[in-house]
Amino acid sequence: MIKLQDVCYVRLGTADLDGATSFATDYLGLEIAHRSKDAVYLKSDQREHTLCYFAGSPADQTAAFEVRDRADLEAAASELERLGHRVRLGSAEEAAPRQVRSFITFEDPTGNKIELVWRPAYGSRRYHGERDAGITGFSHIGLCTTDAARDEAFWTKVCNARVSDRIGDAALLRIDEVHHTIALFPTDRAGIQHINHQVATGDDVMRSFNFLSERRVPMVFGPGRHPTSSARFLYFEGPDGMVFEYSSGVREIADELLYRERQLPFDAKGFCEWGAKPQIREFRN
Amino acid sequence: MVALEQLRYVRLVAGDLGRAADFGQRVLGLEPIDRTRELATFRSDFRDYTLAFASGDHAVQSVGLEVRHSDDLDAALEGLRRLGLSAGRGSAEDCALRKVKDMIWFADFTGNRIELVVRPLNSGWRYFPSRDAGIRGLADVILRSIDIEKDLSIWSGILNAQISDWAGDAAYLRFDHTHHRIVLFPATRPGVLCIEYAVEDVNLLMRNYYVLRDLQVAVLHGPGRRPASEQLFLTFAGPNDVHFSFVAEGAPIDGERRRPRQFPAGPAGLCGWGSECKIAEFNDAASGRTRRAETIASAKAQR
Repeated sequence: MIKLQDVCYVRLGTADLDGATSFATDYLGLEIAHRSKDAVYLKSDQREHTLCYFAGSPADQTAAFEVRDRADLEAAASELERLGHRVRLGSAEEAAPRQVRSFITFEDPTGNKIELVWRPAYGSRRYHGERDAGITGFSHIGLCTTDAARDEAFWTKVCNARVSDRIGDAALLRIDEVHHTIALFPTDRAGIQHINHQVATGDDVMRSFNFLSERRVPMVFGPGRHPTSSARFLYFEGPDGMVFEYSSGVREIADELLYRERQLPFDAKGFCEWGAKPQIREFRN
Repeated sequence: MVALEQLRYVRLVAGDLGRAADFGQRVLGLEPIDRTRELATFRSDFRDYTLAFASGDHAVQSVGLEVRHSDDLDAALEGLRRLGLSAGRGSAEDCALRKVKDMIWFADFTGNRIELVVRPLNSGWRYFPSRDAGIRGLADVILRSIDIEKDLSIWSGILNAQISDWAGDAAYLRFDHTHHRIVLFPATRPGVLCIEYAVEDVNLLMRNYYVLRDLQVAVLHGPGRRPASEQLFLTFAGPNDVHFSFVAEGAPIDGERRRPRQFPAGPAGLCGWGSECKIAEFNDAASGRTRRAETIASAKAQR
């Protein structure tokens, strides 16, 4: 069993590093932690960075998860190899800019690039965003899946995720008390489907809705409220078509023994209890 | 000082009674109560009705407030006449039409008709809405005012309303533990600017937002949050140039110790979320157009 502790960061390739950086700072509200010639590392909470844009192909996307011990990293590598995944240990040159002690990379069954990292750096300074978006931290990712049942089994049987709810065949998976840290959305490609940042209050969601609308950022879903996690949300499109989400008030599941996942319909009502209709490809039939 | 007990009703003049009634039932989701050729009334809570649309020659726009005794009406009448305002006692017919025991009416300095009523009818049966809009009841009314200062002399001189806060020159007035029941908003003409119904919570407010969009009702301001009252609001167009809002949450008021605070004029002082505002009076307040118009009007009057 691969014991994931938390989602750690995402790495996104982009052909327009300056454009992506100004979106991430001026619009999304992240803070630049550090930058190199061909990459920008962005901060959203106490962690040293949680999002990296690098000069490269927009199709080159990676999600990273933290493990507790070096032994967990080694055990994960041998378990993945036993299952036929190609596993590579990250070099010291690769680990340095990621600010992690050690990491391995592999692909999940759909082909999503995943990194498992040990001892990712925390910052000594707290996060101070470029604008007052009210961000409290990077919280979860949507991942593409080309076979929902197969990938749900990978994340829940090979890894330690549990199903919190399902919207159609899309499984919302938790690895701690937070309702979901990974959400698997059936589609025909590999990649990161959306990136979520939590904001402090529902007011922050609404303020950002007006702030981003005025700046012509394409709104693709919301403002709304998820019947699954009870979070108030807003989805909008960033560079290279990546969907970003702000949400607030996500449900926590404290009682692992009594909690029973629920089945929601795969339609607008399954995604929003206020009546917003998604313009996101993976959220529509 | 005459003690106001409750905001009771708003009576509106409907150009097309059928369309107005359809708005009350289908858009607001209120419960239809009385319907004649010239009148349609709607329930929103424990009160027999809180909204009436009337057509015909005798129809007038008015806001009804409850006081406890007929003596209070006498005292109010005396004070109002002392200010030189036109005021009068309602006839038996007027009272029957409004379902009250006794009443007086007056026109404020702007020309808004206010009615003070005694023993207005409550419903014995609970409110059953036409659609699940989550309405809890009539919350407050925003009145246009050409001369805020003079109109305030009625509300806080003869009646017992207190100023909770200012947004520009707009005054939020309270007479119970709610932040405001009446708002006087600077304008260049009289009339009810907006009628506000409380809904259960943010979820109902936002659900109504999407329902209104589906019904193709023009949203004029919000969804937003008012900095002064901390109310969530969603304001939309109603029939005959009167706006309606759904409101939710809002900070309770802690009695006498409270000091009125000054917030900015116009949309900046009316929404803390930065929502788009299409209400002329609100936008004019920010640009100072209303104040200029007032100055011109008073200059003309002096001449």
